[in-house]
Amino acid sequence: MIGGLQREIDAALAARARLCGRSVRETAAALAAAGARWRSDPALSSKLPEAAHLGAGMVRAVLPIVASQLDAALLCEVHAREASGTPPALVAHVLASNVPGLAVPAIALSCLAGAATVVKSGRADRLSAPAFHRALAAVDPDLAATVVTAYWPGGATDVEDAILGRADLVVASGADASVGTLARRLGTRVVAQGGRTSVAVALGDVDDAVVAGLATDVALYEQRGCLSPHRVFVVGDAAGLAERLRAALDDVARSLPRPPATTAERAAHRLAVEEARFGGATVLESTGGTVIVGGTATEVGRRTVFVHALETAGEVGTRIAPATVECVGVAGVVLDADMLRRRGVARLCPIGAMQRPRIDWPRGQRPALGSLFRLPSEPRIQVEA
Amino acid sequence: MVSLEVDLAAALRACAANESVLDFEAWAVRIFRHQFDRNLPYRAYCERRGVTPATVGAWTDVPAVPARAFRSADLACGPAEIVFRTSGTTGGPEMRGRHSIPHLDLYRASALPAFERFVLPDGARLPCLFLLPPPSVRPDSSLVHMCAWVAEAFGAGVEWFAGAAGLDVERLVERLATLERTGAAVLLAGPTAGFVRLFDAGRAIRLGPGSRLVDTGGQKGLTRPVSRAGFLRACWTHLGIPTYYCVNEYGMTELCSQRYDSVLRDRFDGRSLDPRRLVAPPWLRTRVLDPDTLATVPEGATGLLCHHDLANAGSVSVVLTEDLGRAVGGDGIEIVGRVPGAVPRGCGLLLADLVPS
Repeated sequence: MIGGLQREIDAALAARARLCGRSVRETAAALAAAGARWRSDPALSSKLPEAAHLGAGMVRAVLPIVASQLDAALLCEVHAREASGTPPALVAHVLASNVPGLAVPAIALSCLAGAATVVKSGRADRLSAPAFHRALAAVDPDLAATVVTAYWPGGATDVEDAILGRADLVVASGADASVGTLARRLGTRVVAQGGRTSVAVALGDVDDAVVAGLATDVALYEQRGCLSPHRVFVVGDAAGLAERLRAALDDVARSLPRPPATTAERAAHRLAVEEARFGGATVLESTGGTVIVGGTATEVGRRTVFVHALETAGEVGTRIAPATVECVGVAGVVLDADMLRRRGVARLCPIGAMQRPRIDWPRGQRPALGSLFRLPSEPRIQVEA
Repeated sequence: MVSLEVDLAAALRACAANESVLDFEAWAVRIFRHQFDRNLPYRAYCERRGVTPATVGAWTDVPAVPARAFRSADLACGPAEIVFRTSGTTGGPEMRGRHSIPHLDLYRASALPAFERFVLPDGARLPCLFLLPPPSVRPDSSLVHMCAWVAEAFGAGVEWFAGAAGLDVERLVERLATLERTGAAVLLAGPTAGFVRLFDAGRAIRLGPGSRLVDTGGQKGLTRPVSRAGFLRACWTHLGIPTYYCVNEYGMTELCSQRYDSVLRDRFDGRSLDPRRLVAPPWLRTRVLDPDTLATVPEGATGLLCHHDLANAGSVSVVLTEDLGRAVGGDGIEIVGRVPGAVPRGCGLLLADLVPS
């Protein structure tokens, strides 16, 4: 396996050399066209639900969201803003397994940077990367030739040392422990993107469309991604919003039913619920999810949200631990973006758009494309209107 | 002592001695009333759920508290005679459960007869070698306390092979080698992880016939994964103890009663072909619950384990655990695993506590 991958990487590096002088506009157009093909790949949409343990409806819902990040004009804009200096020759992406489609922006950003790319898929989504590679080959075989997709079990140190050891830069996403292990072995070449979570902040009397958007933000990706909200801070009627959110989760579940859960997943959820109940929290359970008013928030999935009351929106800064929250969704209140940036938040957006990031979302507060050029950068936050 | 605990301790001892039959249902309802009256955090929880003594007609109606509640609340019906704490190194002190015991004699009345029934059914009185620190080093460990009682009640001497610096494998091996030469039978007890460290020392010793081993803690604290079959094989190859003298104990700091591997008791009862399972004294019942509905699942199906321990009269009797398991053989359970995300804790980590990594 290692020998074969080495040869593929050699070929990708040679293909990269042949693309020298190609325009960014051409690359961006090819990536956008490939994204459109990828989202319509029938093999992907039929096999991904089982592989990723997501409902078929959920996969149908998230594939267009992922593909929409590949907007040609935006890609050119991001390149103009963030590409600077010498691009890396080879970028390796070690992808997490929690949500599907992570390979698409990863490959796109590397291509945009002008690098050859090797993508190691996560265990639960070994389909997206090859599917995007196929789509790219169909629209731009020369660009596709700079991409290598692969899978090996996490912790296979011989493969990792041989393959990742060749890369100028390794972007690793996943659980803190596995990403940390990789960073210790491969040193400063690793851009580590560990586990994070997201929260929402809203006025208690926001209109029903906002509550519906929040329920969709909760449901998409089954709360597995770092943009999934697990906590909602409410200024005003927290109990009222909790009840409306429970109803909205039921509405969402009609079009996006929850996938079957294992006994262990159901047990973890039950223990969190019972612990919260013991602590005095109010628990609203229904088929669409669980809303817990009060209690100590934990990430148990199954569309479970902890709702906490705030006196003022500004209090949210004291309620989130530093460097743990990736995105804050907001509705009806004004938040100090710089205060959130200092708390480690990378994205501030309207509720309802939390799961629809732009490709230049500064994940982990690093510039999406600029980090591939290893440019020094202040921690960033992206504020979306 | 409050009369209920005195009465219950006497009832457990009488039951263990086959002098009377324990009316589990009646005791469960009576104990719930007692706890509802005296245990304020538990009472508040029950009231939030709309449960009062007036609504509890059967033992299965008594509300369970999640085991994690023992981390955040002092769930005692009176001033504690002793407080036991769970072991575990990863979660920090605030993640450790604590079990306040108002009446230690009730704990003893439960623990000793069960140990005798399932580990010493032949009435053997053996030298006790514990892969544990003595009570002076770990006064807050329920397992250490129980072992001290066992040695006092049933042992022919006791030696502790762990100290503040951890398990002294070298001294243990030397002692076992000495015992091998005498041919005397012994009782070895301790965390599974401690025995694996002993096996890793590489010595093969043949302990005297009738020697037996009690391990607890399962995979927790192990430096390498070991299957149950592999563990039992190692007990034979490294210690000369046959599998039917190897008894796994399942206990929790939050419970005053324990379950034991049925293997030795079954052998003495002529039921050697019955499946290995964790069995309990009559005052401990376990339901296997569907995580969504908290209804009992059919025998053989996996669910959350919920223990109802009458000997927990001084705190809360019904504890919803972080363990997954299934009912086996009509009177037993089998542990299948632990709920993902649960904080590692328990006796298996007791030695790890002594030697922080």
